[in-house]
Amino acid sequence: MIYYLANYLQQSVSVPELSFLRLVEFLSFRAIAGAITALLLTILFGGRIILHLYRSGQRDITRRYANFPASTNQAKTYGGGLIVAAVVVSVLLWCKLNVAFVAICLGAVCWFAALGAVDDYLKVRHGSSDHGLSEAAKLLLQFVFAVVFALVYVTEDLSSVPAELATQLYLPFLKAPVVDLSWGYIPFIIFTVIAIANSVNIADGIDGLAVVPVAFSVAVYGVFAYVASHVQISSFLIFPFMDGAGEVAVICSIVFGACLGFLWFNSYPANVIMGDTGSMALGGLLGTVAVLVKQEFLFLIVGGVFVGEAFSVLVQQKIGIKWLGRRFFYSAPVHHHYQMRGLADTKIVIRFWIVAGILALFGLATLKIR
Amino acid sequence: MRYLLTGGGTGGHVYPALAIADEIRRAEPDAQFLYVGLGNKLESKVVPGRGFRFRAVNSTGFPRSSGILAYLRFGVVLAWGVIRALWILLQYRPRVIVGTGGYVSAPIMFAYAILSRIGLSRAVVFSYEPNVHPGLLNQAVGGFAHRIGVAFEPAAREFDMKKVAVVGYPVRRELENLDREGARQRLGVEGDTKVVLVFGGSGGARAINEGILDALPHLAHRSDIRVWHITGRYAAGDYNAVRDNAAHLQRLDCDTSFYRAEEYMNDIQEGYAAADVVVCRGGAGTLTEICACSLPAIIVPLPSAAEDHQASNARQLESQGAVCVHYQEAMWQGSTVRSAIDGRRLAEQILGLLDDPARRRAMATAAGKVPLKDSLAVIREQIAGLVEGWRPQPLNLEFPPQPQNLPAKPNALLRHVVNRLEQVGGPQGLDERERAYLQYQTDRLLASEAWYEIPLGYRNVGLKLVGHLQYGARLPLLLEILRERRPVSLHKRLLGGDFVHGGILRRNTVEIGIALMAIANDEVKAVLLGVLEQDPYFEVRAAAAQVLGRLFSADDMVEAALVKALDDPGCRVVIRALEALGLVARDPEVRSTLQRFYLHPNWQFRQEVVVALRRLLERGVLGGDQVAVDVDHILAISPYFEPEFPLKNNLRRLAEVAAADSAVDKATAGRGEAR
Repeated sequence: MIYYLANYLQQSVSVPELSFLRLVEFLSFRAIAGAITALLLTILFGGRIILHLYRSGQRDITRRYANFPASTNQAKTYGGGLIVAAVVVSVLLWCKLNVAFVAICLGAVCWFAALGAVDDYLKVRHGSSDHGLSEAAKLLLQFVFAVVFALVYVTEDLSSVPAELATQLYLPFLKAPVVDLSWGYIPFIIFTVIAIANSVNIADGIDGLAVVPVAFSVAVYGVFAYVASHVQISSFLIFPFMDGAGEVAVICSIVFGACLGFLWFNSYPANVIMGDTGSMALGGLLGTVAVLVKQEFLFLIVGGVFVGEAFSVLVQQKIGIKWLGRRFFYSAPVHHHYQMRGLADTKIVIRFWIVAGILALFGLATLKIR
Repeated sequence: MRYLLTGGGTGGHVYPALAIADEIRRAEPDAQFLYVGLGNKLESKVVPGRGFRFRAVNSTGFPRSSGILAYLRFGVVLAWGVIRALWILLQYRPRVIVGTGGYVSAPIMFAYAILSRIGLSRAVVFSYEPNVHPGLLNQAVGGFAHRIGVAFEPAAREFDMKKVAVVGYPVRRELENLDREGARQRLGVEGDTKVVLVFGGSGGARAINEGILDALPHLAHRSDIRVWHITGRYAAGDYNAVRDNAAHLQRLDCDTSFYRAEEYMNDIQEGYAAADVVVCRGGAGTLTEICACSLPAIIVPLPSAAEDHQASNARQLESQGAVCVHYQEAMWQGSTVRSAIDGRRLAEQILGLLDDPARRRAMATAAGKVPLKDSLAVIREQIAGLVEGWRPQPLNLEFPPQPQNLPAKPNALLRHVVNRLEQVGGPQGLDERERAYLQYQTDRLLASEAWYEIPLGYRNVGLKLVGHLQYGARLPLLLEILRERRPVSLHKRLLGGDFVHGGILRRNTVEIGIALMAIANDEVKAVLLGVLEQDPYFEVRAAAAQVLGRLFSADDMVEAALVKALDDPGCRVVIRALEALGLVARDPEVRSTLQRFYLHPNWQFRQEVVVALRRLLERGVLGGDQVAVDVDHILAISPYFEPEFPLKNNLRRLAEVAAADSAVDKATAGRGEAR
C-alpha cells in the first residue's frame, strides 16, 4: 500500500520535497524496509500478544518421549500467528499487490497458517499433542493447496511465470533446463510443496531450531528471486528472466525480518513457540517460493537441515519401526536423537544453525558455479 | 405368496434364513420359496436338502486390505452378481425378500434397490442381523430395508430406530423337543455312558479339532465316555480339516475306539439330544441353541472373532453359571506363536464336568433360565405385518450404551489392565476368573501375527501384558522369542532388519516381559547372557544388560559377561552394562576396568562410572581411600546440563504443599461428619 500511496503522491502532488518517494521504485529499498517493518512489528507487539495468548490458554503440550529436563518441559504458548500477522501486514504495506507472485505467496501463507492453526487449536482443546488433525487430514489439506497452486502455475493465463518457462525443470549447477516436464510438472509441484512444508514442520522441535534455518533459506531464495527479476543480472548469470519475481524477493526479505523478530522471543529458553501455525505457514511459503523461482532442487542444499530431519523421521518410522521393527536413531526427528545422546539443547540448536548457515552459503555459491 | 431368501457364507447366516423359511411354511403351507446364495458356499449344499429351490449369484466380501486391485475385483464381481440378481428378481417377482446378512445377500439387495426405484418391484424387505456388531453390508442395506430384525439389542443402535425390532436369535423348532433316548440308541450308546459332543461351528475350527485330539490320550483310560466330534469341511492354507484330522488320529498311540469323527452333520439336534457335555465355539447362534436345549457346555471362544465378541458372549453366560469357558492359549509351535488348546487341560475340564452330575444339572438349569424369545414367531409377525402395511412402535433405547467390554484396541487394553492392576494392588489382587480372562487376552495378542500396527500393537502389547500380569506360564514362550533366529527376507536384511521377531519386540520382551515378571532362574540367565553377547540389535543388548543387573545380583558369570559388554560398539549397551556392574560386581578388580572410562569423550559413560563407583563403595566392594583417589582423575566437563528454573521449582513445591494440605483438610472434614 505504501508503494501505491507514494506513487499517487508523486504524480498528483508535484512537491519537490517528496521526490524521495521515488525510493519505493527500488526493490532493494522495499525489501529492506519490509524486513525492518516485520522485525519491528514482531518485537513491538510480540510481548503483549504472547501474554494474551498465555492468558487464553493457548499452551503447548509436549509429548513425553523421555525426560528431557531442559526448557522443553516448560509451558509455552503457540505464537505462530505472530509471524504470520507480521508477514501479512508487511507484505500488504510494501509489495505490489497486483503481481500474481504476491497473491500466490499470500495464499500459501494464509492457507498453511489456517491449517496449522486448526491443528494447534485441536491440540490445545484436547490437551494432548496426539489429538491434533490426523496425518491424513493434514496431508489432504496441503494437497488441496498444492493442486490449486500447480494448476494455476501451469495455466498460461493465470500463471505468473512465462508459459515457455513454466514447466521447465532447472537443477543447481546446470545452466540450461534439464527437461520440459509438461503436465508432469503438476505432480512434481505438489510433491515439492507438501514435502517442504512438512519438513519444516518436523524440524520445529527445540527452541529456535526451525526459525533460523528458515531465515537462512528465505534469504538465499530472496537473492535468487532478485536475480531472476533483474534484466541485466539475470542475463549475466544466465538465469531465466521473470518479470515480477522481484516481489518474491521482497516477501522473502519480509519473512527473514519476521523470523528474526520471532527469534527475539523464541530463543532459548523460549517463552513462545511457533507451533504448527508458524511452521506450516513458513514451510508452505518456502515450498511455494522454491517452485516460483524455479529452484526446487536448491532446497536439498539450502534446506539441508529440514531435509535431514524429514529423512530421519521417514527412515525411523516407515522403514524402521513400522516395517522392520527396529530403530535406527534413539529417537526421531534427529534433534531428539542428539538429545538422547546427551547434547544440551542449546548446543544442538546452535550446531544446526551453523550447518544451516554453511549450507546456505553453499546454496548461494550455486549462483555462479554452474 | 412368494418369498425370496438370501444370505449365507457361514452357518450363522444360513440357518436363521432356513429357520425363518420353515416357520413361514408351517403357518402358510402354500408359500413358495426361492433361496439365492453363492454356488460354492455352505448354502448351496444345505439348502436343496431342506426342500427349497436354490439359485446362485456372484458376490465377494468387501476388501479389508487397501489394494486397488482388491477393490476393482470386488466391484466387478459385485456388479455381475447384481446383474444376475436383477434377472432373478424380474423372473421370480417375490412379494417378500428376507436377507440374513453376509456379503452373499448384497447382489439381491442392491438389485432390489434398483428395481424398486424404477417401480419394477413391489416387494417388502426384511433384513435380519444375527450379530452383536452388524456387518458392513447389513449397515448399508439398513437404508432401504423396510424392517430390520436384530438378534441383540446393541446391534439395534446401529440402525434407524423406526425400522428396528429386537427379535432374538431364531432357534429351529426341531430343538424344542429333543428325543434323548432315541438319539442315543441311533448312536449306539447304552446305559450311563456319557457322550461328549465336540464341534466348531458350521465352518469347523482348527483349534478345537486339534485340541480334542490332543485331549484323547487323557480321556482314553475311561470306558464310560464317547467323544463325538464333528470336524467340519474347513480347508484353508496348509490345513484341511478332514485329512489332517485323520492323519493326527493315526499318530495317537492310544485306544481311540471311543472316538467318532464326522465331517458334517445335517441334524445337529441329534447330537444335542444325545450329548451330556458339549464343547464348542461361542458364536451367538451356538450359544442360543445350547441354552434352548439346556445343555452343560464348555465354550472355547474364537480369539480372532471381531471385537472378541465370542469371549464376551461366553463370559456373559459364565457369570450366570450356564457354561464353562475354556480359553485358547498362546503356544510356541514350530518357530512361531500359535493360539491353540492345551489338550490335557481340556480333558481335565471335560472329566471334571462329567464326574460332577450335580454341577452339570446346575449348569443345565441355569442355561434353561437364560431368557429366550420365541423369535421365530416374532419374525413371522413382523413379516406378516410388513406385507399388510402395518407400522409398529419405534424401538426405544437409551443412549449411550454402557461400555461392558474391555477396550478393543491393544494399547487401550494395556492401559486399562495397568490401571486395573494399580487399583487392586498387583496381579495377586485379581480374582480367579478375571485373571484367566486377562491372561486369555494376553494370549490372544501374543498369538497375533501383526506385531505392530499404528495405533494398534498386537504381539508387542501381549508381551507387555505378560510382564504386567506376571503371567509366569508364558515365560518359556518369551525365552523362545529371544532364542528364535529365523532371519527375515533378504531385502529387509539389507535395510537393517534381522529376525522375524523384530528388534523392538525383542527389546520389550526383555525390558518389560522378563523384567516385570522378575523370575531369576538359570534358564532366564542363560538366555539373557546369550542375548547380551549375540543379539544384533543394540536396544536388546542394552535391555539385557540392564535386566541382568537387576535380577542377578552377585553372580560371577553375569559379572564377567557385563565386563565383556563394555567393549560393545553400541553406547547404550555400555551405559547399561556400567549401570548393572555397579549392582552386580563383587571383584575389586572391577575398578581397573572402570578406569578406562574416566576420560571417555562421552560424558554419559563417565556419569555411569561415577554412579557405579558410588554403588560399589556403598556395597563395600571398593574402599573409600581408593575411590577418593579416583575422583580427581575423572573428567568432569559435560556438554549437558539441567537448567535451573527457580520459579518453576518453587511453583512445584507450592503445588505439592497445597495438595498435601487439601488432602489433610478433606480427611479432617470427613472425620468431622462421621462424628
